[in-house]
Amino acid sequence: MNTRVDHNDAARMNRAMLSSMTAPTWRWYLLAAVLGGVVALGLYAFTVQVTTGMGVTGINRPVMWGIYIISFVFWVGLSHSGTMVSAILRLSQASWRRPILRGAEAMTVFSIAVAGLFPLIHLGRNWIFYYLLPYPNQRGLWPNFRSPLLFDMVAINTYIIGSSIFLYIGMLPDLAVVRDRSSGWKRRVYAFLAMGWRGSAEQWRVFSRGSTLLACLIIPVAVSVHSIVAWDFAVTLVPGWHSTIFAPYFVIGAITSGVAAVITLMIVIRKLFKLEEFLLPIHFDNMAKLLLAVCLLWSYFYFAEVFTTWYAHKPIEWEIFRFMTSHYGIIFLIMMLGNTIVPIISLCFRRVRRSIPALLIITVLVNVAMFIERFLIVVPSLSHKNIPFIWGSYTPSWVELSIGIAAFALFFLLYTLFAKFFPILAVTDVREQEEALIGSQQLGRTRVGTLVNEE
Amino acid sequence: MEILGIYKTLDSAATAVDQLIADGVAEERITSLSSVPYPEGVLIRERRRPAFYLSTLAFGAFGALSGFALAAGTAWLYPLRTGDKPIISIFPVGLITYELMMLFAIIGTLIGLFWTMGLPEFNRRAYTDEIGDGAIGILVMTGDDEELVRARESLLSSGAERLCTEEEAG
Amino acid sequence: MSKETSDFHWGMVIDLDRCTGCGACVTACQAENNIPIIKQDGIAKGRNLHWLRIERYWDGEFPHVRARFLPMLCQQCDDAPCEPVCPVYASYHNPEGLNGQVYNRCVGTRYCANNCPYAVRVFNFFNPDWPKPLEQQLSPDVTVRSRGVMEKCSFCIQRIRRAKEVVRLENRELADGEIVPACAQTCPPQAIAFGNLNDPDSHVSRLARSPRRFRLFEDLGTEPSVIYLKGGGHEHPG
Repeated sequence: MNTRVDHNDAARMNRAMLSSMTAPTWRWYLLAAVLGGVVALGLYAFTVQVTTGMGVTGINRPVMWGIYIISFVFWVGLSHSGTMVSAILRLSQASWRRPILRGAEAMTVFSIAVAGLFPLIHLGRNWIFYYLLPYPNQRGLWPNFRSPLLFDMVAINTYIIGSSIFLYIGMLPDLAVVRDRSSGWKRRVYAFLAMGWRGSAEQWRVFSRGSTLLACLIIPVAVSVHSIVAWDFAVTLVPGWHSTIFAPYFVIGAITSGVAAVITLMIVIRKLFKLEEFLLPIHFDNMAKLLLAVCLLWSYFYFAEVFTTWYAHKPIEWEIFRFMTSHYGIIFLIMMLGNTIVPIISLCFRRVRRSIPALLIITVLVNVAMFIERFLIVVPSLSHKNIPFIWGSYTPSWVELSIGIAAFALFFLLYTLFAKFFPILAVTDVREQEEALIGSQQLGRTRVGTLVNEE
Repeated sequence: MEILGIYKTLDSAATAVDQLIADGVAEERITSLSSVPYPEGVLIRERRRPAFYLSTLAFGAFGALSGFALAAGTAWLYPLRTGDKPIISIFPVGLITYELMMLFAIIGTLIGLFWTMGLPEFNRRAYTDEIGDGAIGILVMTGDDEELVRARESLLSSGAERLCTEEEAG
Repeated sequence: MSKETSDFHWGMVIDLDRCTGCGACVTACQAENNIPIIKQDGIAKGRNLHWLRIERYWDGEFPHVRARFLPMLCQQCDDAPCEPVCPVYASYHNPEGLNGQVYNRCVGTRYCANNCPYAVRVFNFFNPDWPKPLEQQLSPDVTVRSRGVMEKCSFCIQRIRRAKEVVRLENRELADGEIVPACAQTCPPQAIAFGNLNDPDSHVSRLARSPRRFRLFEDLGTEPSVIYLKGGGHEHPG
């Protein structure tokens, strides 16, 4: 029995996987309009802040960093999705990454782009943000490269450019497929983007080696970016922040956040674009196992952090934890539930891992818990800092909440636009997998499929 | 000059390659065009290892140097004391050097990849849209008319659905 | 790269035995340095703009309660945690031991405020508003800061600069006690002394050698230039 893919099959698969790129319906326009509206609301809130002053936020002394920095850390964390799924799974040759990797890589680019906005939003004098850039001037001014915020700028820059290149290179063969299937002005655009890719054997060889090299390069960048963001906190004298575990702790938190977000997004696009044929329960099963592993790691790091604080019981450090659990007790419990209790217990069961509705709830809960975790890192430590006389608290204002929500809307809007104009599934990767299934063979008492795997 | 034969299945494309070699076409002049990669040797054997690593290394080295110049060099030229920290020290300089090294290495990889893949290619080359939908093309790069005729006959005899050259590409 | 040195290292000694917690120094500082006036709602939110604050702690149980006062201002640390973290060099260390804050350069990331263990850095949340005729009292020697800028005690650097100009014009040396910051000038019991710690014979240096001396958060290694003298009888309970 010849189960080899033939020409008609390939065309059909192309059509199915590229179904998101058909002409937009009124529903799509409505979605884009709603998301655009929320972004506009955020822009209005930002305008209020820029024209009136930072006083419209909830920032005060001692809590000088609030929702903006929390969002910044959260979105940088989410950007580890693509790196984890695409790069690490590519290097470990996990073939189940194939339907997921485009969506994950796109997530990385858009979440780091959204994250990069927040250092500009949280400035007291946003209009002179360019002071942070090393540009030649006649006044002898230069930014301070010893400051962790400058490390941030360099690292985020590197990551945005690096992940965009990673996304683009990976998309090159798929853009050629889209080019072949389109006409008119669209064809010219995709032809330009595909840069004349023809899929010759030499091009494929270079492509596959190059993608592996890019994956090797992007992983250390991702780890360094989130470590640098962690060191924004860890190099200070603020009790509760000055901890050596922060860099690995943040990286693991980022991977947890990213993997959960990839699962959520895959569930959504699977439903929206009817990709049930390509995103199978086995994919979700494997991603859920990955999520279980990183949730365990996160819980381990958190436990180590709390346990060492509790045992040494340095007064100011323990005070921070006491304040957090008493003043923010409810959201602390939600965080523990979402990051530790629910995922670890439920994802041990195969039935849960293969159940799409259960995974949707669990992964959204993980990301809610991760956002709370960022909040509980930033705010309690600052609220009850070294000197008790100035202890305070923090409540976000409508401006900060609007901008925080608008960031989510912006991310989803960018993603929606991307899904409409670019292939959201890695078409050629999935078809390569299908083509590798070259037949079936009698083995013992049953027939099994035979798969080609190139080392 | 190029001539492209379109085949609908992998087996027929493989037969075409064998036929071309048997008919005396040099193997270096034959390549396949497809929208999915095939394992090594299924259609075409690898001729030389791609060398875009050199671009990655070169750009990475440049990036490391520029990172060092940015963090240590500019700080040395414009020293301004902050805290008791030395003007130039290993951790900040190391971080910036590392980040710029990785940035330029990635950009260098992009440039190296494009260079070795022969992109961007905006001239007319032999190609057809059916390849995007799963057809396999066997491409022969010919030097003169005589080779072109020989390749054309060979492709036709091995059962190409149709042939196409640069002029007909579209 | 060696550190720049100078003949001067400005330091301050605050004698807690003399401090009554009256708060005259706070008012003087506000008047001298064009500090905006924050109303009740701002203060309630924790947005006061006091460069110098009197911290009041209660000791003991009723009826043996005692109040302890600690004037808290920028400690002008030699190893200031606020300086390296500023991304634009708005906070730097000048050779005379002062922690300089460059208002024009500040972009308002507020990282310095987070890293200051004494929490003495304050942020301008809104543009300053001086209802008429209060704008007449603004000192021309001191910048008026816009919103989005961090500020803190500068040891009245405008008075230091002015005194140095005067002695240069008059072609003489700076005398000890010639430079008096607004808080030291105003303090009724003269609890605040200011001068050159590099001169072993100056008033502050002699006070700084007192056995009652201590500095805040010594264990953090910030090397503050503000030295406190224990007192007020509160070290003896009952």
